[in-house]
Amino acid sequence: MDTLIADLKVQIATQLKIKNIKPEDIGDDEPLFGGGLGLDSLDVLELIVLLRQKYKLKISNAEDGQHVFRSVRSMAEFIKSNQVQNQ
Amino acid sequence: MKAYIRSAVSISPQNTFDNSSFLNGLAEYQGNRLNCIEPDYNEIIAPKLNRRMSRLIKMSAACALTCLKDAGITSPDAIITGTAYGCLEDTGIFLTSVIEQDEEPLTPTAFVQSTHNTAGAQIALLIKCNYYNNTFVSGGVSFENALLDALMLLSENEQANILAGGMDEITDISHTILSRTGLYKHGPVSNTNLFLLNSKGTIGGEGAAFFLLASKPSEHNLANIDAVATFYKPADITETAQHISSFLAAQCISASDIDLFITGNNGDAKHDKVFAQLQQLLFDRVPSANYKNLCGEYPTSTAFALWMAANIVKANSIPAILGHTGVTKNKINKVLIYNHYQNIYHSLILISAC
Repeated sequence: MDTLIADLKVQIATQLKIKNIKPEDIGDDEPLFGGGLGLDSLDVLELIVLLRQKYKLKISNAEDGQHVFRSVRSMAEFIKSNQVQNQ
Repeated sequence: MKAYIRSAVSISPQNTFDNSSFLNGLAEYQGNRLNCIEPDYNEIIAPKLNRRMSRLIKMSAACALTCLKDAGITSPDAIITGTAYGCLEDTGIFLTSVIEQDEEPLTPTAFVQSTHNTAGAQIALLIKCNYYNNTFVSGGVSFENALLDALMLLSENEQANILAGGMDEITDISHTILSRTGLYKHGPVSNTNLFLLNSKGTIGGEGAAFFLLASKPSEHNLANIDAVATFYKPADITETAQHISSFLAAQCISASDIDLFITGNNGDAKHDKVFAQLQQLLFDRVPSANYKNLCGEYPTSTAFALWMAANIVKANSIPAILGHTGVTKNKINKVLIYNHYQNIYHSLILISAC
């Protein structure tokens, strides 16, 4: 899980071009939206595509998205549980 | 239809962004591509806001914000931009992704920001300006059409402050494609010997320049835009000369009233003859200067020329690096910029001292 969270932080920072904050400085439970990262609705789309391209996962409905994209940890949990299901 | 230039800011392949000096030294380039000397954008645009911006958007936004700051205006009444190619970098990223991702769903940012009006829109978002916002995409006269729109808006509303700018970027992809079309010189070339080679092609360039335009006089104004005109594919030098004579006559002046003739010479033996011919026909006693050895060739290079001309008029002196010819008068009152892009789009911009 720790490795996945660390990987996700790097992928998020790269995909969203976050340059003023180091990936390792993003808190595991820090809110991705409405917090210090300054992410917006366009970034949600970026994260949806990130999940699809890197992990072959789709968000089935918008309500799920609110939980999945709450923090890096919630994203990692979503990936881990759905990859297990897919296997 | 006149406009005062209250402030002017340019990012170009020369050290132009810092307005504390004016073309003091020439930045020299080897090869047929001149890239901009860019400032630290994080000092001008908050990192959170600029992270998604492509280079052209950052160049444009930095110029626009600084231009407004220099003019002491927080929000203009209109934002008008001109660009021929728009945000090429994001266009390239988007199209490459379409291929690499096998037409699967793509990240939206590059697509959203690949449109031509992104720069104008991003500037509006940064300063929360909800007023008139327009982008002109008209090839080699995109910037001139933005200026014409600004002049017309000012004639309708004399109280207005208008932010107008022109910008285009050069990317690896666009440089490769334009090289194939024969636009650029092959073989060794430098911007220092551009006008000595007598060969086909020119050097590629890029830049962004923004102007705060107003109809009211102010002690801070750099210069006055008297008139702007464009014409398309003139048949020959006679027709070009007629256009210029008519343009000047409409301003109740003649060629001999021009104190400096700034030409769009770009070192291309195929298309540069017209400038020498015009010099003989109309401007034989008028000092002339080139500018594309400084910024390279691109469709909105006249934005750089206007920035340069406005500063020349304000300073009442012509920088030595322009290598101008002819005897300059004591006072530079009127400057005419004549440019053409690939002998298709021709334009005239007349400015005068305030």
